[in-house]
Amino acid sequence: MADKGNDPAVVWQTMIAEMEKGFNSFANQAMASPEFSKVMNQAGGAAAGVQKQLGEMMEKYLLTMNLPSRAQFVGLAERLQSIEGHLSEIKAMLNQMNRDSGADESGFAGTPRPPRTRRPPSEGEPK
Amino acid sequence: MNAQAALDLAGIPERIQSEVQRAIQRSIKGVEYFSTSGPSLGSTPKDILHARGTMNLYHYRPMADEVYRVPILIVMATTNRGYILDLVPGQSFIEFLLKRGYDVYMLDWIAPKPEEKNLRMEDYVLDFIPDCVRRVQLDSGEKDISVIGYCFGGVLSLLYGSIFNDGPMKNLICFTTPIDFREMKLFSNFSDRRYFDVDHLIGAVGNLPPEMILSSFEMLRPASRVAGQVQLWENIWNDEFVKSYRMFDRWATDTLPLAGEYFRAITKDLMWDNKLFNDTMSVGGRAAKLESIKVPILHAVAEHDHIVPYDAAKHLITKIGSQDKEEVMLKGGHVSLVAGANAIKRLWPKLDTWLGKRST
Repeated sequence: MADKGNDPAVVWQTMIAEMEKGFNSFANQAMASPEFSKVMNQAGGAAAGVQKQLGEMMEKYLLTMNLPSRAQFVGLAERLQSIEGHLSEIKAMLNQMNRDSGADESGFAGTPRPPRTRRPPSEGEPK
Repeated sequence: MNAQAALDLAGIPERIQSEVQRAIQRSIKGVEYFSTSGPSLGSTPKDILHARGTMNLYHYRPMADEVYRVPILIVMATTNRGYILDLVPGQSFIEFLLKRGYDVYMLDWIAPKPEEKNLRMEDYVLDFIPDCVRRVQLDSGEKDISVIGYCFGGVLSLLYGSIFNDGPMKNLICFTTPIDFREMKLFSNFSDRRYFDVDHLIGAVGNLPPEMILSSFEMLRPASRVAGQVQLWENIWNDEFVKSYRMFDRWATDTLPLAGEYFRAITKDLMWDNKLFNDTMSVGGRAAKLESIKVPILHAVAEHDHIVPYDAAKHLITKIGSQDKEEVMLKGGHVSLVAGANAIKRLWPKLDTWLGKRST
């Protein structure tokens, strides 16, 4: 078997790793300049403005097409989320009641929780 | 021709055979890669204890016959999903904690809706975390709680702990938590107040889009995504490599948007004015000084963290008011510190040793 120094696969991998490191380092230096920040934020600001205008146009378009508005969808989603939230709370309360009453039901909810009496293992003791 | 060269020549047929086999495997596995969805992540059994807006509170089902008295509440970073700490069985921090006898809860986040753009830092620090703490207390029946914060989850935990410094937080563990935001050099430059108009951005987009957050993370190492894909192609015959690549890649690209007002506060108070480091931070008019935290604290930092460089994190231990405090620097990067093979060998056992004796 060829030794690692001559192995073309290893040479290739090392080259890729070095290129990655070199490019990252070069790019980091370039991105640390105030000029980069200025250009990046100018471009980002313009893109954000366009995105806002596009969003407003879409809203008007949907309204014209007599499609459900975003606000209506959001209203529905909020109601669903509220129902989910209430269900989670009811489930948590039922679990708590089960534990308090010690009821032996099938499933995790009825399973008593382990005692909170654990101590850290002493030195050398397996964990 | 010397003996070494002769040896190399003798190995060529074997080498060619191995490369041909790998090339065939690459083709077969390459097809598999695009036709399968990768491992199922975050599958440790859990119950949703509470869900409200962008906040989810999970309780993981115990795996030990006997648990420590003090439960753990993990506070996840608001930009990313909590399943990085619960990848797959055998590589899950959560599973590790459960098997070592901890009672584990997690405050995880889902994407804030456009209507939640007005969530402020106050909502996270003075409402979401205290609400979860109260629910963990109720569910576990214990007053004391250990808090673990990862990355910006650590910052939120510090803010919470410094404001609610009379309890019930009993122990605090921070993973790669920045406090000196000037030292996050590139992020600091990206958000240079002379050029970055955060008010205009938030006014235009509402919540900060996840693509922007992902891009800013990727810009820290712009060549790494391409190099990663080259590595993936080379190793696509290796199931373990592919599984690991898919897990981490999926998590890294599963970035969450940030609520607009919350992002505005991060930019102005932390990135621009560095208030946490300068001891001038307040949330909802309540002072949040690190010196007011007195509970035992462990801060784990990564030697090669490109997101939170050590210089941004190193002053936490000196500024905190606790007597019982420790910083541990481990090999690895921002993510491999907490998840993956390195974490299994290094961070998790260290944390267990530290926390076990403080959890009774």
